[in-house]
Amino acid sequence: MNNTTKAADRTADAFGPDVQETSSQHPAMRLLLTNEFGLIALILVFAVLFTLLNPGFVSKFSLFAMGRTAAVNIMIGFSMMVVIITGGLNLSVGSIGVCAAMAAGWLMQSLGLPWYLSLVGGLGVGGALGALNGIVIVRSGLHSFIITLASMSIFFGVMIFLTHAGSFREIAPEVVAPGRMKFFGVISPLLLITFVVAGLLSVLFRFTATGRQMLAVGASPQAAELSGIRVQRMTVWCHALSGVLAGVAGLMLVSRTGAAIPSMAGQLGQDWLLPAFLGPVLGGTLLTGGRASVLGTLLGAFLVTMLTTGLLLLQIAAFWVQTYLGLLLLVAVLMDLLRRSYLARKKLV
Amino acid sequence: MNSQLANYRESDWFGPLLITVAAIVIVSVFNPEFLSPYNLQILLLAIAVNALIALSQMMIIAIGQMNLSVGAIGGLAAISFGGMMEVWLIPWPVAALLALGIGLFAGIANGVLVAWTGISAFVITLASLSIFKGINLGITEAQPFYKIPEIVKLLGNETFLGPLPWLILPTVVVAVGLWYLLSFLPLGRFILAVGGNAHSAELSGISVAKTVVAAHAISGLLAAMAGIMLVGRLQLGQPTIGDDWLILSFAAPVIGGAVLTGGKVSVAGTLLGVTIVVIINQVLVLFNIDPFLVQVVLGGLILWAVGVNRWREVRAQKTEKRLAA
Repeated sequence: MNNTTKAADRTADAFGPDVQETSSQHPAMRLLLTNEFGLIALILVFAVLFTLLNPGFVSKFSLFAMGRTAAVNIMIGFSMMVVIITGGLNLSVGSIGVCAAMAAGWLMQSLGLPWYLSLVGGLGVGGALGALNGIVIVRSGLHSFIITLASMSIFFGVMIFLTHAGSFREIAPEVVAPGRMKFFGVISPLLLITFVVAGLLSVLFRFTATGRQMLAVGASPQAAELSGIRVQRMTVWCHALSGVLAGVAGLMLVSRTGAAIPSMAGQLGQDWLLPAFLGPVLGGTLLTGGRASVLGTLLGAFLVTMLTTGLLLLQIAAFWVQTYLGLLLLVAVLMDLLRRSYLARKKLV
Repeated sequence: MNSQLANYRESDWFGPLLITVAAIVIVSVFNPEFLSPYNLQILLLAIAVNALIALSQMMIIAIGQMNLSVGAIGGLAAISFGGMMEVWLIPWPVAALLALGIGLFAGIANGVLVAWTGISAFVITLASLSIFKGINLGITEAQPFYKIPEIVKLLGNETFLGPLPWLILPTVVVAVGLWYLLSFLPLGRFILAVGGNAHSAELSGISVAKTVVAAHAISGLLAAMAGIMLVGRLQLGQPTIGDDWLILSFAAPVIGGAVLTGGKVSVAGTLLGVTIVVIINQVLVLFNIDPFLVQVVLGGLILWAVGVNRWREVRAQKTEKRLAA
């Protein structure tokens, strides 16, 4: 019984701060305490700061480049977010992303398929690998950490073995074009794709039964099971969705660089791990599952991209960027802890 | 006599030992070169370094957590060791001690953050992985330190008796020390108790926070030690040291029967796990098999090992139920 109410509470969280109203609190106060508001404030503060230090920060090209990078980082964040809401994690996002990109490259260059079929093929590979993760996790009953740690190594190894670590450079112009195109001189089409995906994810988690069942599974698997939700099937779906989103991020990188390169996410795709967790964690997605914030993840990943761009532009930190991002993650989780204990003390939640 | 054999068969290290022996026999039949003194020396050198990496992770698995920053700590210690000798001209034993200190400090920082905030070790060590790796790149600007003293290079590659390399000595000391710690000393028992069930450990008067910090401190120290030894082995202080430790650090302990939820690890099992991984690496080289397949094999080994451990767990539960009924 207790579990069920807890699950209901947690799922309610996903629908924004205005759902639970208690008499003791001011609606404006609640808004100020949300993660999303904090992130917007931080983004504004840093934007002003960087612009004052270097006016080049808001040049058309800088804004365009930032948006294009943010598009990929946000997508990587989404890919991790949809697994985190089940209470698990997916270390193989980078590995899957590269595999999907390489598969699309192979279909285009070696099989000569039309570009749209190749992209669908790449996304299919991403989804299939994600689903494979999910199936092994629910069948074995083991934690997703160790399964995806192993699969990250296996997927990447098989991909390198099949491609002999070679790149695919004959990418169709239709695929490369969105990576170069600019709307109004500043907006990358890739960013628009990301916004569309963000919209779809919001609809999924707010308005569809499937999305709400996914959140319920993350909040409390037992309670979800008792309410007639197929917990295992939902977990597999979440992992498959994560694979597809990782594939989208990988294909965006192909579009940007004009080639499918095995090393584009680092050794075993490890380079994606930090952005993958930074977005959702900054955005207030609970690592224990049951709560997703699409807008938060989007803002979190954008903040990270902006900080990276700003630090690089100021030329004070080319080699230190990784340290700052690590510190940012640390500060973010500590702030979240403080916020939570403040809310608990003031009985706002 | 029979029951004793059954006892051995049930122990964690029996399966891996059988596999190790079988692998050595099969490989040396196909390729007698495998047991040549030179090849044994190479094998032992690889085992010496990789064992420390695996034991570093094992100590964190023992308390039921994970440490993603093992490689980053090792890399930071390695470039500090190289840098202090090249830039500040510090004698190598002092530089090694200071680098070990850095590893110890990094581990304590991890432990204090995990124990103090209660945030999952995964997130904390993901952040610290990035911080330590960033400091590494910030100091080196991705360039290696080349001026490593001859004596360090010698210790990193030469043998002192037959095929036994110098590097095996610290590893043996650490392995015996950890076995003694986990089997007989209060701290070791506390670590396993916290891993088994942190709540009941707390109730029986163990300070969970202190135990967690201690385990992370040991982990940091061992990771730093592995990094320093690799500087001698590779003869340069490379910033990329530690980048590829993550998979191995989990593979070896789980092959050795470690349970990822904590409370159950085996030093002997972990050493055998390392040996199996190293032999597989060598076999791929000896038989000219695509080296990229190493990743696939390592991932497969992890899955196989956790699968076997899980199966044994389920079987044990069933037996318990049957006995209870």
